[in-house]
Amino acid sequence: MRREGSPFKGTATIAFKEAADHMTSARMHLIMLLVLLTAIAAVYGAIGRITETTAEDPFLFLKLLTEAREPLPSFAALLGFLLPLVAIALVFDAVNGEYARRTMSRLLAQPIYRDAVLFGKFLGGLLVIAIALLTLWLLMTGLGILFLGLPPSAADIVRGVAYLAATLAYAGVWLALAIAFSTLIRSPATSALAALSVWLVLAVFWDMIAPLLASVLAPIDPLDPMTVVTQFETQQAVSRFSPQTLYGEITGMLLNPAARSVGPLFFDQVQGAIAGAPLPTLQSLLVVWPQLAGLVAAMILLFTLAYVVFQRQEVRA
Amino acid sequence: MRTIARWITAAALALGATFACTPAVAQDQQQEVAKLTGFWLTTPHPELAIRPGETETIPLTLRNDNLPPQRASLEVTGVPEGWAWSLRGGNREISAVIVAPDATQEINLELTPPEGASGERVPINVKARYANQTADLPLVVKLSEAAEGGLELKSELPALRGTASSTFSFKIEATNDGAEENLFSLAANVPDGFQSRFKRGYGSEEITGLPIEAGASENVTLEVTPPRSAPAGRYPVVVEVAGGGASATTELSIEVTGQPDVTLTGPQERLSGQAEAGKEASFPFALANNGSAPATDIELSASPPSGWKVEFEPVRVDLIAPDATRQVNVRITPSEKAIAGDYMVSVRASGGPVSESAQFRVTVNTSTIWGMAGLGVIATAVLVLGLAVMRYGRR
Repeated sequence: MRREGSPFKGTATIAFKEAADHMTSARMHLIMLLVLLTAIAAVYGAIGRITETTAEDPFLFLKLLTEAREPLPSFAALLGFLLPLVAIALVFDAVNGEYARRTMSRLLAQPIYRDAVLFGKFLGGLLVIAIALLTLWLLMTGLGILFLGLPPSAADIVRGVAYLAATLAYAGVWLALAIAFSTLIRSPATSALAALSVWLVLAVFWDMIAPLLASVLAPIDPLDPMTVVTQFETQQAVSRFSPQTLYGEITGMLLNPAARSVGPLFFDQVQGAIAGAPLPTLQSLLVVWPQLAGLVAAMILLFTLAYVVFQRQEVRA
Repeated sequence: MRTIARWITAAALALGATFACTPAVAQDQQQEVAKLTGFWLTTPHPELAIRPGETETIPLTLRNDNLPPQRASLEVTGVPEGWAWSLRGGNREISAVIVAPDATQEINLELTPPEGASGERVPINVKARYANQTADLPLVVKLSEAAEGGLELKSELPALRGTASSTFSFKIEATNDGAEENLFSLAANVPDGFQSRFKRGYGSEEITGLPIEAGASENVTLEVTPPRSAPAGRYPVVVEVAGGGASATTELSIEVTGQPDVTLTGPQERLSGQAEAGKEASFPFALANNGSAPATDIELSASPPSGWKVEFEPVRVDLIAPDATRQVNVRITPSEKAIAGDYMVSVRASGGPVSESAQFRVTVNTSTIWGMAGLGVIATAVLVLGLAVMRYGRR
């Protein structure tokens, strides 16, 4: 029997309620404090380096995000590492937490469909991360203006916004993954551990696994130099299964206008090329567009998985 | 035999002694001559030509050697009727002179024949009466209509050849044949747009006039710079030097040889353009000849990065007239593997004396096919989600 009306009715209500809950939760406060402190330290270090070493740069505010001062990593690297943690912390118990608190049946007693609950929880998490990211970026830019004494250029802002959008998609992947685990696994602690282990594998160990896999899939023939290239390309393809790699490539292209390619370059491609000439923002975006599309598609597919599992679950327990 | 030889030797010795004495005697005699005593009236040019209507100055010299101070009253006779004359010394009119012992007194006789005067030889007598003697100086004045050979110009190389961008320098020797030192002004009559400069000898100062002593000559360098746009051809240059009533001209000539000057400019005078990897892009280049001679047989070539294709249409330009422009289509196909960003392609036009190159910056844009593919991936994901909602929605 088909029921009437839109399945998404009430999604916005749930999303905003969810976002408000996150905003006031101690969990969120703690993890955002961690992010904020490390980000400020990273940018402060970057400002120090820039004022020491850079005479002139048309993309000073992008440098602010990529410049690193030992022992701190750069702002962009820090976000790539910490954002999955934030996303997992937000929604690792989104669905199974409701079961554990026995509030799911109460929630579904409201005149809404189940669709709206999951969509609302996902969008609420995404909204919170978007707000946090925007605030963080504005804060860093403000710090930059304060200490460097220069306003950001238009290209800085356009690239910064594109970088924020890509970062949001990256966070969305982990958000969708954590929601999927929270629907699949009944215990919140187990789902949190599962999400964290996937993150550990993809973020930390994948760089070691990819060369191993590549050497198995495309062994090097000592007599054929092209197999070296093939193996490198295989390794790159394997490592791109990790959102961390995709996000790293997007960051590299968007925050460094002089970067022209993410793959290996042959000499005949570089011959006659003018090094250091900045690429138009749209061209940089086009170069990493496959990576960006991959992130967005992965986010949607993971969420679809969670959605299908959730829709088929028995909720009356 | 022996005795004879001895005699001869003795005679030769005696003769030698005699001759050895003679020069000393001669020297004494010369000193006697130098210590001449007397009073003279002289002039360097006792016969000279003068022009009617002009005042001619004839220098006279009174010399007193070894005599007490002499007062000499001067007298000029034989000056024809209507001629003006005066004796001047120290800028005053004079009629008598006192010459100290062993001294010289310079005076001038100024003669002004009237306009239209004639006469082959006019004898004029100048007398100086001193003590009770007379020093006589007969002068013969000839009247001549023709200018006195006052100034002569001689050019070492009167015809020069060069391009429109070279400087032509003429060495001219100016000789003052007049009787006096004079300041001569220099002028060069050059075609419009040409620039001329006079320099003295090999000096660097620009001059407009030059003093030349009587009978001396000076080297003058005339530098002529044609305008860059001067068409090929022969140009006359007339140099005129004038001063002290004399003037002289000399005609020089410059031959400017034509030279093509071809410039290569990109589309809309820009040297950059956009292309897509693996796709042909066409850029209209312009070949302009700003020189003064036609440029012929210009071949176009390019040195692109490897894997790129650059074609010209036409490949060869047969002729570009001066001040004419020819369009050349440059079709650039970046390599399939070209990465996004800027590449340098150098485009050359060469042929004969023409060699021009331009660095053309090609911005390679990423093909949007992958963008479409990415959108397709996202659309597929959204479609899967939509299908899931359709299948499992509203529970």
